[in-house]
Amino acid sequence: MVYLFTALYCEAQIFIRQFNLTKNLENIWFQEFYNETSNLRLTITGVGELAAAAAVSSTCSMHRPTPSDLLLNVGMCAHTAKKDGIFLCNQIIELATGKTFYPDLLYRHPFRESAIVTGMLPWNAGQDSGRFGVQAPFAADLLPSNTQTDERMIAAGALAGMLYDMEAAAIYQAGIHFFAPHQMIFLKVVSDNGNAAEVSKEQVTSLMQNYQDCIIDYLMQTAAITKEHSDHNNEMNEKDKQIVETFCTDLHCSKAMRDSMRQYIRYMALSGMDYIGMIRELYEKNLLPCKDKKEGKQRFEEFKRRLF
Amino acid sequence: MKNLKEDYFNPFFSHIYVEKSVRNHARTQNILAKFPSAQIIEIGHYKDVFCRSRQNIRLQHCAQKLILAARQGTLLYEGAPVCQRFGNEHFYYVSCAMNCIFDCAYCYLKGMYPSANIVVFVNLEDIFAEVERVLENHPLYLCVSYDTDLLALEPLIGFVQEWCAFAAKHAQLTIEIRTKCANKAFVQSIVPMPNVIYAYTISPQAVIDAFEHHTASLSDRLFCAAALMRAGCPVRLCFDPMIYLPGWKTHYSEMMNQVYRSIAVDQLLDVSIGTFRISQDYLKNMRKQAKDSAVIWFPFQKEDGYCHYPAPLMEEMESFLTAQIAEKIDREKIFRWNV
Repeated sequence: MVYLFTALYCEAQIFIRQFNLTKNLENIWFQEFYNETSNLRLTITGVGELAAAAAVSSTCSMHRPTPSDLLLNVGMCAHTAKKDGIFLCNQIIELATGKTFYPDLLYRHPFRESAIVTGMLPWNAGQDSGRFGVQAPFAADLLPSNTQTDERMIAAGALAGMLYDMEAAAIYQAGIHFFAPHQMIFLKVVSDNGNAAEVSKEQVTSLMQNYQDCIIDYLMQTAAITKEHSDHNNEMNEKDKQIVETFCTDLHCSKAMRDSMRQYIRYMALSGMDYIGMIRELYEKNLLPCKDKKEGKQRFEEFKRRLF
Repeated sequence: MKNLKEDYFNPFFSHIYVEKSVRNHARTQNILAKFPSAQIIEIGHYKDVFCRSRQNIRLQHCAQKLILAARQGTLLYEGAPVCQRFGNEHFYYVSCAMNCIFDCAYCYLKGMYPSANIVVFVNLEDIFAEVERVLENHPLYLCVSYDTDLLALEPLIGFVQEWCAFAAKHAQLTIEIRTKCANKAFVQSIVPMPNVIYAYTISPQAVIDAFEHHTASLSDRLFCAAALMRAGCPVRLCFDPMIYLPGWKTHYSEMMNQVYRSIAVDQLLDVSIGTFRISQDYLKNMRKQAKDSAVIWFPFQKEDGYCHYPAPLMEEMESFLTAQIAEKIDREKIFRWNV
């Protein structure tokens, strides 16, 4: 399952159309759309860190992501220098705390990479120019006074061309309770240079459409890779489980012996040994069931010795 | 990335995380120059990346990142009880890099560290200063390639050469460089020194194929060991860890035959023999990450916080190999862990 989070409906439209997502009317807290066949669940978080964290937390608590799932945050952002483009975030700096988060970038991708700063307010270059100067990087100056010097330096150094949004850091922090760092992807489309108020819904929709193909291609590929790498089901089938349980019962296994037996069976299974055949052989030779615990213990030792 | 058959992982060291404090360090610059296409990401402290929670070590091994940092705090560590000290009184090891480019299924590093990414501490000069401080009090036997394979990283970081140059100036210092690689270029350019020991971990080819992913073949390791011996370097063979697999006696016998064919065994500095053992905590972490790896799901025996093969098997394996080697080399040159 891919858990997709966007701040706005107009950022979500391309996914709703492409995947024929249906609105989940049972979710009364956030707008949620899903398609079980496409394995996609989209939540519109609303704007800002608190809203985003609440939405991730709510969705993930309800649906319980697994190691084969992905979290994808897609949305608009500002850029300190560029006017357009799509970026994969390799570093997420939370402006309020100075904390930095690093999604794991394991897979090839067609995007440019960038650090992103997440703030509580929209970055407004016009208004902020008075405070920080038109050319000045903003994050280092905005960091709280108690922030470590190193963090201030990192923020300042990284800002020569940086993205700015209002959700990524919160989504990472809420998401890490449910996903590993390699399961979280942050894709941001540049909509402005610090004049977000002038960006219309239609422009956002249009920008998302411009990048629709590459976003969806990457999403599908990464979801398939993640699923492929987590599909290691080593559980025994029910029939074999039953055989092992009967075997333990017929050996009069104590709790400790049963645990030990499970370990041996697991090793044998992973090593490709025919442990079911070995157990059946004991029955065929009428060595099982054992008459008491003492005999069971002896038989168990013989069984272990056969392994080595 | 059009279909899953293509190599969809990022290339090795596609991203290099660099601590701000070492951004301008000469070794950082040298290393970065070798990766002109890498994405450089400045960080505050290596642990911000290395110690993130819930990292998937298995997947990270397919797309390892490099972290360049400064080692702070403890620089030298006393050898662990499960490590062979080869009769040396002052046995220490140093961690100038963490993690390995190889991917051995049984490696304790997978249980010890929360990440598969490689950390290289570029402030080697601080470690050298600490070693010199210790040398003022007593001689030192120092393993420099324990939490990594330094020789495998040599083309990228050049630390082995630096350690050799340092050892050349300090007769009281003996260093051991343990490896599973076959760096033939390095071997051919070697200047032998009596206090630099090259220690090759030797395993049957069947074990290498099954568990020691991306490491050099047995024949390549033996080729390099033999070349170093011919050049006059002290060489140690480590049959440690011995790994159990069905038919182990045949595999280890074949391995020994190959060793005898390739190496003048009587001229080895010494050999070590030890079956696989590991801290219980590390094993627990490894099992969480690799649910389908037979080598770490072996039903081990637990003892004093460590896991090892059942005592009779451990004894049988180590005695078997010891008896074979003892035919060719003096007993006092054979160091067994389990005695």
